[in-house]
Amino acid sequence: MYRRAPSMSTRVFVTGMGAVSPVGTGREAYWSALVEGRSGTNVVEGFDTSTVGRSICAQVKGFRPEDHLRADELRRAGRCSQLALAAARMAVRDAGVDLTDGARVAVVLGTTMGEAEVAERVDTARIRGGLGAIEPRDVLRYAPYLLSHFVARAVGARGMALTLPAACAAGNYAIGFASDLIRSGRADVVITGAAEMLQAVEYAGFARLGALAPERCQPFDLNRKGLVLGEGSGVLVLESEAHAERRGATPLAEVGGYGLACDAYHITRPQPGGDGNARAMREAISRSGLDPSEVDFVNAHGTGTAANDSVESKVIAEVLGARRPPVSSVKSVIGHCMGASSALEAVSCVETLLTGIIPPTMNYETPDPECDLNLVANAAREARVDVVLNNALAFGGYDAVLCIARPGRLPAFGARS
Amino acid sequence: MKPVAITGVGVVSSLGVGWSAFVEALGSPAPAEFSRAPATVPRSPHPALRVAEVAGFDAARYVGDKGLRNNDRLTRLSIVAARLCLEHAAIKAGGAFTSYDGDGVGVVASTAYGSTEAVAENNRIAKTEDPRYLNPARFPNTVINSAFGYVSIWEELRALNVTVTNGPTGPLDAMSCAGVYLDAGRARAIVAGGAEASSELLWESLLRVGALACEGDERHPPNAGITLGEGAALFALESPADAAARGARVLGELVGYGSQFDHDAAAPHLVAPSSTALARAIREALDDAGVAPGEVDLVVSGLCGQPALDEAERAAIAAALPAAAVCAPKARLGETFGASGALALACALGWFEGAAVRDGVSGEIPPRIDTVVITALGFYGNASALVVRRAK
Repeated sequence: MYRRAPSMSTRVFVTGMGAVSPVGTGREAYWSALVEGRSGTNVVEGFDTSTVGRSICAQVKGFRPEDHLRADELRRAGRCSQLALAAARMAVRDAGVDLTDGARVAVVLGTTMGEAEVAERVDTARIRGGLGAIEPRDVLRYAPYLLSHFVARAVGARGMALTLPAACAAGNYAIGFASDLIRSGRADVVITGAAEMLQAVEYAGFARLGALAPERCQPFDLNRKGLVLGEGSGVLVLESEAHAERRGATPLAEVGGYGLACDAYHITRPQPGGDGNARAMREAISRSGLDPSEVDFVNAHGTGTAANDSVESKVIAEVLGARRPPVSSVKSVIGHCMGASSALEAVSCVETLLTGIIPPTMNYETPDPECDLNLVANAAREARVDVVLNNALAFGGYDAVLCIARPGRLPAFGARS
Repeated sequence: MKPVAITGVGVVSSLGVGWSAFVEALGSPAPAEFSRAPATVPRSPHPALRVAEVAGFDAARYVGDKGLRNNDRLTRLSIVAARLCLEHAAIKAGGAFTSYDGDGVGVVASTAYGSTEAVAENNRIAKTEDPRYLNPARFPNTVINSAFGYVSIWEELRALNVTVTNGPTGPLDAMSCAGVYLDAGRARAIVAGGAEASSELLWESLLRVGALACEGDERHPPNAGITLGEGAALFALESPADAAARGARVLGELVGYGSQFDHDAAAPHLVAPSSTALARAIREALDDAGVAPGEVDLVVSGLCGQPALDEAERAAIAAALPAAAVCAPKARLGETFGASGALALACALGWFEGAAVRDGVSGEIPPRIDTVVITALGFYGNASALVVRRAK
């Protein structure tokens, strides 16, 4: 553990949220499906999976971008940006914040691949018809950072607009850096979160890596067979305490400290000892001014793959010790929405803080001695929850753990400067 | 931003690989030599074909060939730059840490497009053969943070690893992010900068939208467009106090940063660079650094040859820094997108070292360069600026 800057004590509040998920669009639809454990697993539509041995996913179906986007956005934006735009508009509306003067407003979003479908279309046109077959407007919209720029345009942000492609930890990376921007005084409001779309080559690649479950996602179960790829977007409005107070906003939650580490072990496999994950968890706790015994709930990364769930279980037990707080993985319901996953899960963590309901890990049947957790299995549980850890462990050996808490709960923040 | 010390450079560019080769070429009066038959665009015979390529690049010369087999070009450029950077900073010697340890060193770097080579390679297999033939050892190269993830693996850097993507402003944004992370104590040293690799997919895409300079093509006036470049520039960043404590040589200091966004709702195209955003970003960066416009010796611009972009960038510089001399290193390095601002910083450090400024485009270049502003204009409304000062 290294130095912690004393200037970073501003409280950062979540004041609005939006979600587009495989189980529904909008905060309420998303949260009620999570609480009920209503599965978002479905069969891939839009591309052929017949030769890769897998066909299930958690696609966002029934999403009508025209309900959320302007005509010019519909025409110009790829699907990933469309998902981000829809969730961002919902979040800003939910926050009720006036962003007319966007000078102190920033956008920080995460993704794994950005406009993967656009890139595929450009390259496929080239393969089939040569240079002249490339659709120029597709070239202009295939940049993986465009989602942040579409959102900045839509909300009128005039500060930094940044994209952090941190694979399946991208949501936590973005929310964490967004809180840094506010604490370092560079912004008062940050629109943050992540978006991801499911795409053909990506799906086949995950299948070839042996990561995809044949039928369903069973986090922490002895017989778990892999993850279910999903898609979607989760966006949060973060504000400094002073900005929220000035406009009389009611904070939904407080963004705490976060921890980042890198396994530096293997590009796709977690380090077997989970050292990076443990460092990131401990850092999120200590940077929030907390003791490990004060963590009330862990939203696990819990992908349902053999390697992730056993390593993560070991780390949770090691870091949080004897109190054994409840643990759950909503990926059993929404699948693994890649870059968007930890942003969508941050939304559900805030809902847990607001309602005292922990959403269940579905499809749990057979305990695995290597995953000895206080798991919220198959049915939601009510509990007093003031402090949540949101785990995200990603491709590239990325470990990102974010603490989210009831407003005012965290000792590390609040000293007025 | 709190000042950040730059204590090492790793540069892989069309002007040379390694710091001394780069500085020598930077100061040389020889004109740019672009590759007319680039290895990265092997199947596109076209009169306009030219790339500011890292000619004859062989990563094995720098890092050995073990473990390179499944790495794409972006990863290879990045791991070589990181190796050169850590050795140059004397954080490592002979592959072993001599200052700090793996838990104390992180990576924060930018790429605009990730590995377009890998995207095309995997897509070609999926479309012309069958998705079941995708190679699971090479599919990961398609993921945007893959190259810098490999940097951490190769160099055993276990503090944070952050990839930034934001087009041409990405490298400046990454260095600002690194400053925030250093200030928060998330690492003792951060390898920061950017990398971009040329590929057939990228080159053909840019040609198709009319972005490339097309000498020999009667449809376009000469030089009205960019030359695709590639490269990687990574810097060892640490606090000035830490650098002093370990007796590191400081090559320069990052002292101010600004980043702004603007969008004209009436803009007819998706691509809409913003002159006002860049002017504000420059002023924000100067204010952040506590540097007056008159103290700026040189603007290291992102002028790239594309008329609309250059017009917007020139207007912003004229508004925010009317008296400063301006240079355009992309004239020789090409447009390297996610590496561009990092290569611009390498140029600035080279001029601090005494290399002659060869890429001036306006104003009188002062005999001694102490303070520079690096500018970067995004395509969709974003803009960033970074203030760099010679070490005291």
